[in-house]
Order: sequence, then structure tokens, then C-alpha cells
Amino acid sequence: MKRVLWLNWFSLLALAAILLSACGTPTPTVAPLPTEDETLVLHALYMNQAGYSEEVLQEMAQQFHADNPGVGINFTFVKYDELHDKIVTSAAASTATYDVILLDLIWTAEFGHKGYVIPLDARITEEQKADIAPAIFDAFIYNGQLWAFPFLANFQNMFYNLAHLQAAGFDGPPATLEEWYAQMVALKEQGIVKYPYIDSWNRKEGLVCDYVRTAAQFGGDLFDENGQPIMDQGAGLRALQFMRRLLDEELADPAALTTDEPGAMNALISGAATFNTNWTFVRGNMLDPEKSNIVAAARTGLLPTAEGVAAPAGTVSGFQGLAVMANSDKQAAAWRWIQFATSAEVQQQHLESEFPIWSSLQNSEQEQEINPDAGFYATNLANAHHRPKVAHYPEVSAIIQEEVHDCLLQIISPEEATAEMVQRINALEE
Amino acid sequence: MKKRDAPTNSPRLSIHTSEEKFALALVTPAFLITVLIVLIPLLYAFYLSFNRAEVIVVGGQGGLVTEFSGLRNYLYFLSSADFWYSVRTTLYFTVASLAVELVLGIIVALLLNEEFRGRGLVRTLLILPWAVPTVVNARMWGLIFEPHAYGALNGLLQTLHLLGPERTINYLAPIPLFQNAPLLGELTSWLGVTRGLTWIIVADTWKTLPVVALLLLAGLQSIPLDLYSAAKVDGANAWQRFWLITLPLLRPIILIVLVYRTMELFRVFDIIYILMAYTIPVLGVVTFQQSFVFGNFGKGAAIAFLIGLLVLLLANGYIRLIDLEERE
Repeated sequence: MKRVLWLNWFSLLALAAILLSACGTPTPTVAPLPTEDETLVLHALYMNQAGYSEEVLQEMAQQFHADNPGVGINFTFVKYDELHDKIVTSAAASTATYDVILLDLIWTAEFGHKGYVIPLDARITEEQKADIAPAIFDAFIYNGQLWAFPFLANFQNMFYNLAHLQAAGFDGPPATLEEWYAQMVALKEQGIVKYPYIDSWNRKEGLVCDYVRTAAQFGGDLFDENGQPIMDQGAGLRALQFMRRLLDEELADPAALTTDEPGAMNALISGAATFNTNWTFVRGNMLDPEKSNIVAAARTGLLPTAEGVAAPAGTVSGFQGLAVMANSDKQAAAWRWIQFATSAEVQQQHLESEFPIWSSLQNSEQEQEINPDAGFYATNLANAHHRPKVAHYPEVSAIIQEEVHDCLLQIISPEEATAEMVQRINALEE
Repeated sequence: MKKRDAPTNSPRLSIHTSEEKFALALVTPAFLITVLIVLIPLLYAFYLSFNRAEVIVVGGQGGLVTEFSGLRNYLYFLSSADFWYSVRTTLYFTVASLAVELVLGIIVALLLNEEFRGRGLVRTLLILPWAVPTVVNARMWGLIFEPHAYGALNGLLQTLHLLGPERTINYLAPIPLFQNAPLLGELTSWLGVTRGLTWIIVADTWKTLPVVALLLLAGLQSIPLDLYSAAKVDGANAWQRFWLITLPLLRPIILIVLVYRTMELFRVFDIIYILMAYTIPVLGVVTFQQSFVFGNFGKGAAIAFLIGLLVLLLANGYIRLIDLEERE
């Protein structure tokens, strides 16, 4: 009996202690870098869907630990879709769960606005700025401040099956959007494939990316310089009309409406589709004999623009940066890791895995040898368009996803969908 | 008049008090844990539902900032056509799943209640799908429903020549069932009854059917065999024995299954989110989107309480049925 009562008191005390600690958690202080005999563990949040693989990142961490014996890296790998939620939850804690996070460019405004991450302007050098394309840096700038250091130069490319094109009587990929359409029609009419094109048009962020990219192929954007929605006219409207037409004429696989990026890639590398517009991770997979049926025929190309558009290509950016959580108590060590992981020296060791963010590496002989498609990559990258940088981007994105998806499902017309998008996004602003 | 003894002088009452204390001591830790992890978060969420709440970090410290907004969060949903569409879609998922699970569950339970060789093994194997984590189950069915020829189900149907070599089915297509049929198509569109959601019911049922069947099997085993013997003597056939004996005596356990599964089905999230992202806006998905994607924790809390209210209404209906059953 006494033992039970004692346990009872213990429970009460434990409850009181938990409640008190919850009420009075002290503000975290920024810890100094450890000496060699101390071990400080940085918690880093990454995704295991695209970009550098877990093995490559662990290798980087070991190398970093060898140079900085007092600092260890503990990775948490999640799917892209879980990243944002994990970061928000980490920000809600008085002390961050993760010290370093992978920041998708679409969250720059939100995280900067709400103070989730610290500005990095004072920490970067002029040499670094000079060797990274302004388009990449610009993706992580909000209110004139830099909130993440570029890490992954992810963007969409055209991936295609050359054997299919040759069987249809074409020598190579299309030079214009109109030529692309003509090639798709020929591929279908000749029965080479049932659906020449596959994309990831399920109701997710990827659908917004594909819409922004198609608008870029028509030479425009969905938002103007002031962040106002303009997709009901010009390139935005033409892009949605084009996407819908591809489905109506069964040139695009209707399965696209329930497919994400890896699923769309699978259709290409299985030989079921001729064209797939997708992120850089596709290249490694389509050339891997263990995964791909089309190794010999797999090619990378430019994303063609419509006739009359001056740009040689039009694509969408999916850049990701590394950022330090503002409620981390290990900010100095976190920045040291970011400097290491994003450095040209480290990226140079992993050119097989990812296209580097550094211009000097992109144009290096080593890169050209490793990636014969580097020229296409560079052209596409130079013509990448960003999604809008607005603090309430997740809501804007949800509206675009819903309307575009409804349009592609043939529930509403492109004109109705784009008008609805503009009206609903403007209502959010109010 | 006989004077009553003081309570402390009564050995019987003293034992009683001592037992009460002991019971209280046993219950208190569980009660405190419940307060800590259920009641306090519940009250906090209720408070949030009347506020505009978002996560911000100030001065290196993260936290939730709130601003009182009255009933605005509740009114936002109650006046939204999208919310009511979500309610209808969730109701369809709940009712259709329940119907399939109950019918199949009773059939499986009846089969497993019969004597046959290897019955123990079959009963053990039956529980396996229930042991598969929901996320793994969703991913597995994602591969089965893959819309191309290399999808497991399409591949199987092609191998069996039930589908032509060029034909494939997009099982998860978010298109309304019978969409071209007059009236019926409009009804399915209004209810959110899509082909994708219907196949997800199949995937979810595969996982949850074992537990429903086992609960019903437990109910079946409590029915006295004498009743069946007497019915046979009276000339009742198998259907009559099922309809007039089994089903009425299974009613209490069926009601328990209904309450338990309704609560689970109405809060569905994992399998739909993993397979369809935001394409099927059941209430669980909308709650997640509001809270963790948009960062509107006040609205997220409000819709969570609205779901709770709807489940409470459904549970209340079932409880009345159980009461009625007991009175009968």
C-alpha cells in the first residue's frame, strides 16, 4: 500500500515538473563550437526522395566529423511532403528539434516572414556570391535578406526516348513547343506508344511546378513582378489550355492525374511513354540498367518554348537550400556544417549525384565528362522560372492545385479555372 | 434511540475506506497521465479553435501565437461549400466501408466458426493484414493500383486475359462513378463518390476486415449451440437459423463494431493522403492541410472539433440503439 501511495506522489511530482518545465522553458542560448574532446550533435532534416542520397550525405557527415571532431551530424530523412510539417513543428518548440533544415525555395517567404530561420547575409562572402548564378541566390531572398544557402540546383528537364522518336521518323527532340506537339501526334498516330507524354499531375505541389514550367515554355509567368496573379491571361492561360489539350487528345497519359514525379519517371523508364518533363533525379535512374528498360535510348534535352518566345528553353526551379533554425541553440556549428556541405570542394566530389550549384563547377571539364547533358542542364537552369514568393504560399499553391486539377479532370474549362484562381488568390490577399 | 458509531470506530467502514484509498491510489497515475496527454491538449485545442493561431519564432524562441477570433473559425467551415463536400465524401467512405466490412466480416466469421481442418492456422493467418502498418498498407496498394501495365493488378488481369494487352485501368482516377448516367452521375458527383475513393475502400477493408471478423467470431462463439439444435428440430433451414438466431444474438457485438469502426473511419487520413494527396478532401485531410500545411492551427482545431461533434452525433445514435437492444 505504502509503495502504491509513494508511486502516486511520484506521479504527482512528475506531472508538476513537466507542467512547470513546459511553462518556463528558458530561451535557448547559442552554444559555442565544441572543443575537440566534446561532442556536439547537430540534428539535420533532409529528404530521401530526390537530391543527394542518404549514403552521400552520410559520407559528407563523416568527412565533416573528421575535420570537426567535436561535431556529429544526426540526420532525419523524410519524404518531401513531410518536410514542411516537420519544420513547422520544430519551429513551434521553444528549442528547435532540428538545427539545420532543407528549405525548398517556395518556403523562403513564409519561413523568413515568421522568423523560423535566421538570415545569412552577414555570413556569405563576395566570392561565393560571384560563383553562384543570381537566379539561384534570388530564390532564397525575401525582404532583401538571404534565408538559406543554395544546396541543390534542382530544376525540370525534358527526358525522352530517342528510339521512339526515330521509329516515328524524327532525328531528335523538338526544338519548339509546336514541334513537340507534332511529334506527340505522330507517335500516337503511328501506334508507337499509346500516350506519348507522362507528367506528375496529381493534386500536389508538383502540379503547380508543371503549370509554372508550361507557362515558362510559353514565355511567361503566373504572377507579375508585384506578386499579383495573372494566370487568366497570356502565358498562364495558354499553358493550361495546352495541358488540357494534351489530355483531351490523349497525347498525355490520363494516369498523370494520379501520378507523382517518381511514378511519371517509371512510365518513361519502363518504355510506356516517350516524353517526361521531370526533375534532375530522373537522369541517374533512366541510365541505370537495374532500373531502366531504355538505357540506350534515354536522353536529356531542352524544354522547348513556343514559337515567338525568345528564350531557348523554359523551365521551373526547384532549388533547395540549407537553413539554420532560429530557435536552434547550435547555430554556429549549424552554419559550419552548411558551409561544408554546400562548398564547391564537397560538391565536386559528388558530381555524379547532383548538378552543382557553383557556376565554376557547372562549366568545368570534370562536369562535362561526368554529365554529357550538362550543356542542356545549364541552358534549362538559366531559363528557370520561380514559383511566387508570398508568405501564404501554401494556400496559394492549394488553390492552383485544385483549379488546375479540376480543369484537367474536364470539370471546368481553362478559362474558368484561371479566372477562379485569380479571384480566390486575390481574396486571400484581402 | 441507538446512537450511531462514529465511522472511524467501525472496522467494516474502515476497511471500506482503506480499500477506496487503495483503489484511488491505483487509479491516480493513469488519471494523471490521461489529464496530461488527453485532457490538457484537448482543452488547449478547444481554446485554439476560438483563436487565430500560428507558429512564429521570436528572439530565438519558437511558439504558437494566438489572437482571439470568437466563432470565426467555426463559421468559416460551416458556411463553406467545400467543408460540406468533405462531410459528404467522408460519410460515403464511412458508410460504404462499414457496409462492406460488416457483410464480409459476418461471412468470414461464420466460415471460421465452422469445424474444419487447419482452422487454427487460418484464424492466425487472418490477423496478418491487421498487423501491417497503415502506411505500408497504403504503399503496397499504391503498387497494386499502379495505372500502367506494370501495376500488379493490371498485370494480373492482363495475364488472366481479363484485360487486353493494350488496356489498363486507372483504379485511383478521381472521376465520379456513373458520371455519364443522368441523375445518378450528378448524385455521385455531389457525394464525392469517385472510382479512386471506392478502390481505396477495398484497400482499407483488406486491412481492417480481420479485426471486424474476429470480433464477430467472438460474438458467434457466445451463442449457445442448443438454440441451433432446437431450431433444426423445429425444421428451420440454414438461412432461417442465421436470420432468426445468429443475427439477432450478434446485434450487441455488431453495434460495438459499428461504434468502433465509425470512429476510425470518420477520422481516416493516412491511406487517403498517401495514395491521393489532397485529391480526396476527406475531413482528416482537410484538418491536416489547415493545421500543418497552411499553419492555421486555430482553423485546424475548429475543424477537428467539428469532426468530433459529428462522430459524437453518430455515436449517440448507436448508443441509443444499444440501449434499445438492452431494454428489449
